[in-house]
Amino acid sequence: MEIKTGEYNVWNEGSIIHYEGTLRLSGTDAYQPILDLMQKVLADKPENIVLDLTQLEFLNSSGINLLAKFTIELRKHPDLPVKVLGSTKIPWQSKSLPNLQKLHKGVELVIV
Amino acid sequence: MTDIPISPPLKGSLLTSFRTKFIALLGGAVLASLLLGGVVALWNVAKLSRDASTEIETGLTKASEGFLESYIDMTAQRADLMFARTFDQVNMLANFTQRLVDDPKLGRDLGALLNDNTGFQDSMVYDAQTRWLQNRSGEPSVISVWSYLLDGNGKMRADVEQAVRDSTSFDLVAPSLMETGQSKLQMYYVGPKERPIMRTVPYSDQAQNFDKLYPGHNDKNWWDFFFPGVYEAWQQWLKDPASRPVANDITVLAPYVDAITGQLIVSYFQPIYNKSRSDVAGMVGVDITLDQLTQLVQGVKIADTGFAFLAQQNGNVLTVKGEDEKLLGLTEVSAAGTGVTSNERSLFKSSFPDIANLRMPRPGATTISKVTVQKDGNPVGLLVVMHPLQPINMWQANGGIGAENLMLGFVVPESEVYASLYGAQKQIDTATNRIVKGILASVLGFLALVMLLSIPLSRRFTAGLVGLADAAGRLTKGDYDVRVPVKGRDEVALVGTAFNSLAREIRDHTEMLEHRVSERTGQLASANDEIQRLYDKMKDENLRLGAELDVARKIQMMVMPTQSELERIPDLDIAGFAEPADEVGGDYYDVLYVPGGAKIGIGDVTGHGVESGVLMLMVQSVSRALYERGVTDPREFLDVLNRSIFKNVERTRSDRHLSLAFVDYADDQATISGQHEEVIIVRKDGEVERLDTMDLGFPIGLEENIHDFLASVTVPFTQGDTMVLFTDGITEAESEDGKLYGISNLIASVKRVHAGTAGAIADTIIADVRAHIGKQKVHDDITLVVLKHR
Repeated sequence: MEIKTGEYNVWNEGSIIHYEGTLRLSGTDAYQPILDLMQKVLADKPENIVLDLTQLEFLNSSGINLLAKFTIELRKHPDLPVKVLGSTKIPWQSKSLPNLQKLHKGVELVIV
Repeated sequence: MTDIPISPPLKGSLLTSFRTKFIALLGGAVLASLLLGGVVALWNVAKLSRDASTEIETGLTKASEGFLESYIDMTAQRADLMFARTFDQVNMLANFTQRLVDDPKLGRDLGALLNDNTGFQDSMVYDAQTRWLQNRSGEPSVISVWSYLLDGNGKMRADVEQAVRDSTSFDLVAPSLMETGQSKLQMYYVGPKERPIMRTVPYSDQAQNFDKLYPGHNDKNWWDFFFPGVYEAWQQWLKDPASRPVANDITVLAPYVDAITGQLIVSYFQPIYNKSRSDVAGMVGVDITLDQLTQLVQGVKIADTGFAFLAQQNGNVLTVKGEDEKLLGLTEVSAAGTGVTSNERSLFKSSFPDIANLRMPRPGATTISKVTVQKDGNPVGLLVVMHPLQPINMWQANGGIGAENLMLGFVVPESEVYASLYGAQKQIDTATNRIVKGILASVLGFLALVMLLSIPLSRRFTAGLVGLADAAGRLTKGDYDVRVPVKGRDEVALVGTAFNSLAREIRDHTEMLEHRVSERTGQLASANDEIQRLYDKMKDENLRLGAELDVARKIQMMVMPTQSELERIPDLDIAGFAEPADEVGGDYYDVLYVPGGAKIGIGDVTGHGVESGVLMLMVQSVSRALYERGVTDPREFLDVLNRSIFKNVERTRSDRHLSLAFVDYADDQATISGQHEEVIIVRKDGEVERLDTMDLGFPIGLEENIHDFLASVTVPFTQGDTMVLFTDGITEAESEDGKLYGISNLIASVKRVHAGTAGAIADTIIADVRAHIGKQKVHDDITLVVLKHR
């Protein structure tokens, strides 16, 4: 599955979900298609799940809310290894991604 | 019942009728083919004229340049010939003198013989005043003996006296040579350096003139005074003939214009050597006017105003006429030379850059340059052809002896060279114009003819159709009894038959149709009423929604801290700024007065709009309630606040949370708690401290229990310190080219004005952010709180 627009692209390769570009959608409803994609990956009962955010240059607060909600949902699958990939070059990531780990101890955060 | 507009054209208008279209089609087709033919013909004519011009130009250029090259070559050969003839004469005199040096006995005998004849006796007279010795007038030559060759009584040294006597034989040859060949000013013999006596034909007041023109000459060796370096150069030549710049002993002085006669004069010297050829033994010299060369050069006529000039290698133009001098942009510069004072006009100093940039051709080569000069304020193209003459040895006062190529130049205005080309081009243009006009006239003529013929033709073709159209018009008006006359069996006749039967059927159906129409119209009218009613209702709904938004915004603004509240707070000067991206913002800031201090909160709800605004109101209300309840521990404050908000978010199924931080100020200390953006502190001395709040809390409303994540940090905050709290609407404000404002810009802004009041600092930051945003859309709420310790 993939969602591609000029500004941002979200797609998955198996259980790896890639995010790219600038995500500045207004409100939870607008983020629904992306959440659907993520939940579809989860519904396929993968052995692990990876959120690759290294190419996501901007994410507004509603988007961060989406990541948080999804992380809360992942807590219901304590045995599923979760890896979140981030980049130190993108300021919002080192600021907001550690919260995901606080929400769910099973999240392995790799910010390079 | 509403009107249903039905108004088909009763009859085709003049512009849209079938006949007009027919004529237009025919005319268009004819016009198009004529135009195409015309354009092809024109293109060919234009190409032909272009090709012809190019061909003529190439041929003419080649012919003109060939002519100019041979002409200049020929003229140069003639000039070289003139020099060669002069060389021969100098040579002859030198050979004669050399012969006598090589055979001293013959020289002496000849001298003695001549001395016995009247006219060759050289009766020398000493002038005690001027201290030189010179023979009287009336003799073929004048011989001058300088002071340094005489004793105190004006008597010659023995060897000098002998030399004077020996040189008498010069009188025998020089006068006859004077009269042959080119016109010469004078011929002379000068002795070797140890006795440089000077014998000159014809007789003149030689020493007197020298005294007048060259004071001091009588006390210094003649050679060193007049021509320093020449003698030594010749001595060198004798040792090594290969050192001569040009393989010839004759040495020429730079040509100069005689101030009195205006003639161009050149002096030719040829050294005489002693018998053993080990040293120089004097020289013979000839001063010659270059009249013939000048005439040759000025006699060159090319086209109408083309002319020639003669220049030295250094660009100095020797012969050129006044108006031609102006055309080349030459200016005269006074130049001092030995023995004469003359004027210099250098090509390289021309007032026209093209001329000044001309380069002399290599020996033997001819160059043709195209240059542009100004004449009477208009640019004029010139062809400049240059060809060097044979090189000669030339002595110059500052440069010694070197090879000099005098240079012959031709100048012709391009317009004259290409006069016939321009004439041909003009004729071609005239012919082309005539052809264009002819083609245009024939195109229009044909078109007129076709139109004329097509009018009656079209009338015949369309007569049947016109009848049909007429009948159809009447049918439309409601005349259902109309019928068209049917003639012949063509398509128009078939349509006529069909029309007649259609008209019959229409008449039959008309009455029933009218009934149906009135029924449908009624239905449409009631549908229209319904639409209008719905439209009015929607308008009301929109107004109501707008009013609700207005109320929400007003409530939000109302709960913001007032100016009087802010002023109650001790120690702190506080300025707040909030601007929502939508009507209702999701940013939160509040300042609560606490005895002895203040509690300042700043937060950012995810998203914006009414829902985010409501969440913000909840935060404000709960904060106020907690404070009134007396909860002072920052961690407890946030923990309880989070739980309240979490439950409310859960109840309202609102999918939002917020970042939130508090600053508790009292007694010069600030305690910061909760997770939000960085807190910037600029100390009184300008030092910047950045306080990361990531580990001081957790997003509010996301998790029910965040107690473990909560922490606080306390820092001193004293007189002159500034603290800046902000939401990401500031740091993530986007410029027109997509660049974020960023925290470093924010810090730079604060640092620049941190000494000012809180209000001034806030104003500066907001102005900087707005300048960054420019015309870009504002994506997010912008909130800023500046605290300044008074």
